[in-house]
Amino acid sequence: MGNYKSIIYEIKDNIGWVTLNRPEKLNAINDEMLRELDDMFVLAEQDLDVKVLVIKGAGRAFSSGQDLSGVGTDEVLPPSPHSKLSSKAVLEAARRRSRRWEYIFNVCKPTIAQVHGHCLGAGMYLALSCDLTIASEDALFGDPSLRMGILPDFPLLSWLVGVKRASAMLLSGKPLTAKEAERCGLINKAVRNDQLDAEVSRLVKGLSLLHSDALAVAKDSLNVAMEARGVGAAWRYTSDMELLMQRRTIQSDDFDFEEMRDKLGLKDAIQARDNPFKDLDR
Amino acid sequence: MPTGFGWWFKTQYQKSQWEAMEYRGREYQQIIYEKLSERIVRITFNRPERRNALNDQMYNEFQAGLHQANDDPQVRVVIIRGAGPCFGSGHELSSPKGEESPPVHPGLNPTLVDYYGFERRRCGKQDDAQQYPKILISQVHGYCLGASEEIAAISDIVIASEDATFGVRGFTRLPFGISNWPGFWPAESNKYWGGQLSPEVRGRQAEEMGTITKAVKKEELEAEVLKWANALAQLPIEVIAIYKEWLYGTMDILGMGTSYRKHYGEHHTLQYVRFRPEEVNLYKEKKDSSLKGFIKKRHESATIQDKGKTHREE
Repeated sequence: MGNYKSIIYEIKDNIGWVTLNRPEKLNAINDEMLRELDDMFVLAEQDLDVKVLVIKGAGRAFSSGQDLSGVGTDEVLPPSPHSKLSSKAVLEAARRRSRRWEYIFNVCKPTIAQVHGHCLGAGMYLALSCDLTIASEDALFGDPSLRMGILPDFPLLSWLVGVKRASAMLLSGKPLTAKEAERCGLINKAVRNDQLDAEVSRLVKGLSLLHSDALAVAKDSLNVAMEARGVGAAWRYTSDMELLMQRRTIQSDDFDFEEMRDKLGLKDAIQARDNPFKDLDR
Repeated sequence: MPTGFGWWFKTQYQKSQWEAMEYRGREYQQIIYEKLSERIVRITFNRPERRNALNDQMYNEFQAGLHQANDDPQVRVVIIRGAGPCFGSGHELSSPKGEESPPVHPGLNPTLVDYYGFERRRCGKQDDAQQYPKILISQVHGYCLGASEEIAAISDIVIASEDATFGVRGFTRLPFGISNWPGFWPAESNKYWGGQLSPEVRGRQAEEMGTITKAVKKEELEAEVLKWANALAQLPIEVIAIYKEWLYGTMDILGMGTSYRKHYGEHHTLQYVRFRPEEVNLYKEKKDSSLKGFIKKRHESATIQDKGKTHREE
């Protein structure tokens, strides 16, 4: 289905299977992948043959998060504080970023994230925007965005696991294991690595036997409850705060990820980013 | 008490309470203010002989300390802890009549609006400290009760020893408790709300409930806190400030401001409780048989798990 490069989209037995497909980059999300996901969701929403969507990753991980290479990433990454873009341009992009998760959260079909390996940053936002998140025990959920001075464009965390856990995850950037994520309600279930496929297949088969209208209405009624808790306002508020974060001044002793990346290369820059926090990581 | 809403009826033009508490020229007597490194400050409640019960002076010094750390442009993390046997036992119930720490003394006989303004200022201290633009880490050991628990609750990170005991005796918590409120509570309603209603929560249980960040062995507590402080002090100062503004902004969307107001109202309502003869009344007991007598009676009447220990708190 579709002429996609960074994702694979297949429909089988009324189930839409979406595979993030940049395995050599641990399915890092770049602008091309975002465009293809945007396109796929619109198609799938209108497709009467698709009753449930499953999203998973090819290769060793679900997704390592935003592609940090700086090439083909203008949409997925906020501009650096050094950039002289207008506030309007920065805000528009920030709003598209947070509204994208909001849109996926509210897609009119049930969505399931099948997660293995790394599930970080935007990869985690994608997995948690799905209605159900099932992970194998080797999965890691986390968001190191603040280490790079990027505000997470995903406010849902406090709603899902509460403010103390959200703060510990975001301030430290330390990932949770699948079991920890299951225990605190971040995801639905953690299963043995060799059982992940079977578990998701069973679940999705069951869901695909329900009436599609019933699924859409049931999902909407749950999301209305979240809306009543203010989630709708939070997406918008988040993009405003993202603009503010982009407008910050990088002080001489602040870690400057982009400068490091341009100087040392991506791999070493990520290592330099994570080094001060390694005592907190396992 | 003055008439009207009283001192510092906060508007958007007003300073937060920690900011209004001056540190210049002040000599700290009941807290210890230390600069552990360029970026880390530690404030220690230092009335161990009173189990760090919060009287006005210690609370004011705490707020002045926050103000001082905020004005220090290098500081990014403030650690809060208690000297001696515990983090803190809550409000100092033997405070003199005019102090803000315990509930208003009935002898002051305030008007309704006076009292509301008083509660708003008194409980608003926590609200203001929650909006603090740098990272607060509470290092909790032993008892962490009542108002002391609220100080831990407004911290971004809470590391507790396994023997830490969180709780409130004889009154409700701030609605978010030491808490993950206002998280998506149905996800763990039994654990969470059940925990809120039970009188005491230990360190490990609090970690499981998600109301604190982490529980560790007593001997590892300080090292663990310093580990967090050192790591989080690497974050740029503006990143911290904007992150916190964002996070607590989403909490406002979830109704935190309203729940604070509800808490002022709760205090207010309970001020007008009519005690039955057999019920334990702080001010009556204090008059008739001293604070110790009150605590003993309360201990006998309430469901308290630890026999033989007494505390001062809210």
